[in-house]
Amino acid sequence: MSRLEKVDDLIDSRLMARLDGLDVVSRKIFTGKIQGERRSRRRGQSVEFADFRNYSHGDDLRFVDWNIYARLDRLFLKLFLEEEDLSMVIAIDQSASMEGGDPNKFDYARRLAMALGYIGLVNNNRVSLFGFGTNRIERLTGLRGRRRTREMGQWILDREANGVGGFTDGMRTVALGGQGRGVLLILSDFLFPEGYEKGLAYVAGRGFDVFALQILAPEEIDPARHGLAGDLRLIDSETGSETEVTASTSVLDQYTQSLESYVAALRDFSVRRSITHQVVESSVQLDTLLLDYLRRRGLLA
Amino acid sequence: MSVTLTLAISWIAPLAGTIVALSTIPPLVALYFLRLRRTRRVISTTMLWTRATQDLRANAPFQRLRLSLLLLLQLLALALVVLAIAQPEADLGESKATRVVMLIDHSGSMNALDGIDGMSRLAEAKQRAAARLRSLHGGGMFSGPAPSVMVIAFSKDAQVLCPFTDNVTQAMHAVESVLPTDGTTTLTDAFELARAFTTVTNPDDESVVIARPPAYELFSDGIIANMDRTVLRAGERMTYHSVGQESTESAGIGALAAARNPERTDEVQVFARVVNWGRAPLTSDLEVLVDGRLRAVTPAPIVVPAAGKDAAVDAAMGGAVAGEMQVVFPSLSMLQGGVIEVRLAKNDALIADDRAAVIVAPPHPLKIALVGRGGFVMRSLLEGMALASLELFSIEEWNRRMTIDAQSPDAFDVIVLDNAMPDSIARGRYLIFGAPPTSAGIIPYGTKSSTIVRSIREEHPLLQYVNLDDLFVASMTAVAGGAECEVIVEASEGPLILTMHRGPLTLVYVAFDPMESDWPFQRGFVNFFANALAWLAAGGTAVADEPLAPGDVATARLPAGAHDIAMRDPGGGETPIVVQDAGNLSYGPLARSGVYRLHWSGAKGSSGTNELAFAVNMNARAEGRANAAREIQFATERVAGVQGGAITLSSLWPWLLLGAFVLLCVEWWVWLRRV
Repeated sequence: MSRLEKVDDLIDSRLMARLDGLDVVSRKIFTGKIQGERRSRRRGQSVEFADFRNYSHGDDLRFVDWNIYARLDRLFLKLFLEEEDLSMVIAIDQSASMEGGDPNKFDYARRLAMALGYIGLVNNNRVSLFGFGTNRIERLTGLRGRRRTREMGQWILDREANGVGGFTDGMRTVALGGQGRGVLLILSDFLFPEGYEKGLAYVAGRGFDVFALQILAPEEIDPARHGLAGDLRLIDSETGSETEVTASTSVLDQYTQSLESYVAALRDFSVRRSITHQVVESSVQLDTLLLDYLRRRGLLA
Repeated sequence: MSVTLTLAISWIAPLAGTIVALSTIPPLVALYFLRLRRTRRVISTTMLWTRATQDLRANAPFQRLRLSLLLLLQLLALALVVLAIAQPEADLGESKATRVVMLIDHSGSMNALDGIDGMSRLAEAKQRAAARLRSLHGGGMFSGPAPSVMVIAFSKDAQVLCPFTDNVTQAMHAVESVLPTDGTTTLTDAFELARAFTTVTNPDDESVVIARPPAYELFSDGIIANMDRTVLRAGERMTYHSVGQESTESAGIGALAAARNPERTDEVQVFARVVNWGRAPLTSDLEVLVDGRLRAVTPAPIVVPAAGKDAAVDAAMGGAVAGEMQVVFPSLSMLQGGVIEVRLAKNDALIADDRAAVIVAPPHPLKIALVGRGGFVMRSLLEGMALASLELFSIEEWNRRMTIDAQSPDAFDVIVLDNAMPDSIARGRYLIFGAPPTSAGIIPYGTKSSTIVRSIREEHPLLQYVNLDDLFVASMTAVAGGAECEVIVEASEGPLILTMHRGPLTLVYVAFDPMESDWPFQRGFVNFFANALAWLAAGGTAVADEPLAPGDVATARLPAGAHDIAMRDPGGGETPIVVQDAGNLSYGPLARSGVYRLHWSGAKGSSGTNELAFAVNMNARAEGRANAAREIQFATERVAGVQGGAITLSSLWPWLLLGAFVLLCVEWWVWLRRV
């Protein structure tokens, strides 16, 4: 597959049409900054009843439930859920480890980010994008509305995967970024030299509904089936460290076990922190991922 | 059917091959342990691979050696190179020569018993020669056409036992028929004999040799004399099959002589010379036996010095000089003749030279007739000798006596003719001065004056202690002798002293009158006179004082009517002899050392018995050295010996290098296909 050169390469009109009917679903109810199209925990002026509470001085008399007062001779204030907008944060891993695989993992992450961001913009959510893994955290925040699609696409297109690690710093920046609570989508292979634990811990405790989408290339999942054989000197794309490997059956089996245990550890870590973890193979069609996998995992509806 | 292929390999440079092998093969294998030619590949992270392989690496600096075609090919190529450096040679069962001459040494030193299970060197040489014959005709995958084989046995002389033949059975029989001798060794005759059979020249140009030289296969212990005068010609190849041990040491009797005391003829004085070829001094008793009975032993063990080195000595003999000791025994009382044997009490691997014998004739005062003018000089000389009788005759008296009795010469041991010539000298033993014996076939053809001696045969018994350097002859008779004549002294004008032997006639002719020279004034004249009388007197009885050497021919004069003649050799074997000429007998060559006894029926000999004894002694100085040589130094080149059945070898290193090159090409091709 050729590399991405223009915004239209990120998402085509056919996919956009199919995504128009989707919306990002959060398992949590957040307090938005402006009135949006979803329920908020903040009691407000929407028509959806939330609770009662005793009247206190200064309350708006318009929300007094007079029927209760008639029956009980006491003033109760009727509380309603207020509809707010959803903050949607997409964090893209720009470390060099993403620049690999066939199909390319970084291209896949950028197309996925474009699709998810488009869904967010179409549904009038507040979309923010972060790129981590380089020397500085790159960001594009405060996007709302379909008209910001091209701007978002250009920003995504300009990203390059040439950094080293930076996951922990990136997640800390996201957590402290004041983007409001919402859905956090992390698009990464989660193969960080420093580990993923501290980074995920930053965002897990901040009220984000976190989705960790672990993008792996087919040859990373099953190297034997994709031509990895013989006596090899493997070079780490991020650290440059070399490992000499003879791709014997036993070594490949050992690698598969190591990968499975790594993914399992990430999944366990995520589950314990209410993070949704999903392994995404870069060879999976994007519409299949969005319309099937992620809908089943409850991210999209 | 099973086929056995025996491939004998020897190494010229095994140490070099070992060093190269040890310095190259382990590093090559280590390279495969340490490093592989790996394909570089960039991946997202090596983290998972590191985890996957850390168990397998087990923190060891080396990985497990895996079967690799490249490694196998490289090891094979390297092994071939290492083998080539070691320069192997193998018997490929072929000889490039179409003709092979097998030279088998059967000299005295080949009787040394230092082989396996006490086997003699000759037996070992015959075994190896037979094995070589089988290999030449054995066939096999490397074998070419079998060459024609000639078998020559050599010691003092060379003998063709089998001319060139393709019949392996015939050649094998020839090898088996080689008998031991105690003779000396010379290779010159063997080469001449072989070349006589093998040199084929162009009929149009005899200087052009058109036949390919043969390959020589020499089976010997390398103790060969005169090698510095022996050369291998262009194209001739020699393979030396060395037999015997280098460490074998020996000693023996180098010379033995016995003589009756001139004053007391019943006493015999014995002289012996003991030689030692060993590296250590020899300490041994020396025993004297007379007719097989021990008569004397040295009062104390003699100590013979060890062998030394002398660069001037024949290089083929290793430049060694034997340690020697002269031993003189006290006089032995011997009223009759007999066999005196001297032997070393301490035997070694070469037994034949540990003993020597000499025949002592019974005391026999001579009966002399002096015919002629009866001059003062000769009469005085004869009267001064211990003779049984001396009778003086004028020439007329002698002729008259001969007319009456033609057998009258037999009444005298020697007849001295002093410038007088009888009418006939058909039989008898004569010492003749001056007048030539024309009736005996010596033809005069003039008179010469002022003659000087040109050459003499110093080794002849007649010339013992005789110096003719200052002899001046004023007038001599120029004569021409027949085939029966042997010239002892040659003058510038012709033979000066000669001997002749024809049937019952033996004579010594001096072709000048001593009174026409200054000889009577020289001491050598007296010695010559005595030598001539002793030599002539002993000629018909026995080999009195001079033992024979192996390879010599024994001659004797038997009494008329002798029949059923046989010779008993030292081993006890009897050989019947048929004599055509009734009076004379020649037998030989005498191969082994020891005492040969000739016996017959009929009339008794002059010794009063029907037996004559001949002593044959091995020369310990020439052949007694027993330490085998591992290489032979010819005049122009050196030939290394092969042992233990190793035979004609072909160099394998060119083939090994070619194989290594092919393997490297294959390895390169495999490598290209992988990368």
